[in-house]
Amino acid sequence: MDRPKPEPNAAPFIHAHPTTESAAASSTAPELAGLLTHEDVDRALDRWQVSQARREGRGSKRFGGLRVLWLLIGPGVLVFLGENDAPSMLSYSADGARYGIGFFIPFVILTFVMGFIVQEMTVRLGAVTHRGHAELIFDRFGKFWGFFAMGDLVFGNFLTLVTEFIGVRAGLGFFGIPPVVAVVGALVIVAGAITTGRYWTWERITLALAIFNGLFIPAAILARPNWHSVGHALLTWMPLPSGSHYEILLLILATIGATVTPWMLFFQQSAVVDKGMQPRDINAGRFDTILGVVLASVCAIAAILATAPLFHHGIDASNFQGAQFAEALEPWIGHTGAALFALGIFEAGIVAAIAISTSSAYAFGEVLQTGHSLNRPLRDAWPFYLVLLGSAATAAALVLIPRFPLEFVVLTVNVIAVLAMPPALAFLLLLVNDREVMGEHVNGMWANVAGVTVTVLLICAGIGFGLATVFPKLLGG
Amino acid sequence: MKRESKPNVEPVALNGEQPHLEDPRVVLSLLEADQVVAAKERMRFGRQKLSGGVRAMLWGLRIYVVVMLVIVFISVLHAIQAAH
Repeated sequence: MDRPKPEPNAAPFIHAHPTTESAAASSTAPELAGLLTHEDVDRALDRWQVSQARREGRGSKRFGGLRVLWLLIGPGVLVFLGENDAPSMLSYSADGARYGIGFFIPFVILTFVMGFIVQEMTVRLGAVTHRGHAELIFDRFGKFWGFFAMGDLVFGNFLTLVTEFIGVRAGLGFFGIPPVVAVVGALVIVAGAITTGRYWTWERITLALAIFNGLFIPAAILARPNWHSVGHALLTWMPLPSGSHYEILLLILATIGATVTPWMLFFQQSAVVDKGMQPRDINAGRFDTILGVVLASVCAIAAILATAPLFHHGIDASNFQGAQFAEALEPWIGHTGAALFALGIFEAGIVAAIAISTSSAYAFGEVLQTGHSLNRPLRDAWPFYLVLLGSAATAAALVLIPRFPLEFVVLTVNVIAVLAMPPALAFLLLLVNDREVMGEHVNGMWANVAGVTVTVLLICAGIGFGLATVFPKLLGG
Repeated sequence: MKRESKPNVEPVALNGEQPHLEDPRVVLSLLEADQVVAAKERMRFGRQKLSGGVRAMLWGLRIYVVVMLVIVFISVLHAIQAAH
């Protein structure tokens, strides 16, 4: 492999390399001792707690005991429950309302498997390099490719943030709460989560909010799904959706975009770094990611089941948004079920707004090389917090502008996420196969086969959508 | 280049009591060498030399994204026009 080559005129730096050497044992320890930051001290405390838990739980060799798991879960659960956001839950709802119980239930599980394959790589990258995704892309591929990757991220994140506030507004709209109150209230919650100046506290607050994604489960139970049909769909992928092939393809793309998106790569890797995870935590990170996949897929399937009565009763849900699903469902799942559904949409929007704005802030901080940690006090990392709150506030403000084309944003956001994903996956696969960066944690053959397969599937889905749009007669549409 | 050292450096604070984090040695003993913010600022992964094939792939994917975004934009405009 070629040796790393510094950029022309770049400031001299020491080449980093994968290591698990203790900072106290490194040759630069005396110098580093005088340069420690608030961020380092907070992270050290987190590491001490993990070390203690690991020492107490030595009986359980694989993960080191339940307390270790409790301490190390977070980024994986957050990224998947965060990605069960307002547009995603609306996509799942549209799946159920338009095509009932059938193909989309196993398909959603497939998309979550794809999500796990991709996100597991970010756990390893973060734990081994202690660097965020944007930082690694800029370091290894240079500014030219780095700005392309950032462009995709910023564009996609901002559009998605707008849809989260649309979800917040629509969810609370069901209860008669005025849009301004709903959106400003959501912004206050986003701001409140970051005022602690501590990653751990922020993570636990956001996790506590994310658990309410489970509101879709009682809503699904109230819809009294036919469990035999659910089992049949899981085993056979039947019945297949029928009708306009173009619309089915669009919904397939939106459903993939509800699970596999660029912000997830950037967020989970940066969160793993901010949490202070180390290579010895990779197995726990994998467990965290699997837990996120399981919780999020159950909630996603619950959304499909909750809206399936609309399909069975022939209600046209083709132009439904947010609260309209809840209102239409009321005759079939009752006021309580509809209220749970509306609250679920609100929760989905608020948690994703927190996670996505944090993902943007991490990436900006990494690229601009300014402080980018939730362990930093506001005065130390104000650009980081400014991006975080500024992006959320701008998205929130757009939602309140009369006659702003919200419909345009909702229609495009998940599709754009799928289309932007292949280049993001290419960078991810290049990084995770880079022995200079990953050392012994470089991708194995099967991880590469899985990663390339996901990339090719996403490209095929995108090209299929493009062909169906440009040549509608190809699909008989 | 040193590739990997074994993770056997036991943190000095592992005595069951709350660690004295005002002592820099304790903080350093709990973190890995490239986990300290100041160390990360001075140590960077340098540029990787991209092969022709990798460059072609990245350009291909970039063109793919731009073309697809144009298609999405047009299709959504049509959808909105049709809806109104």
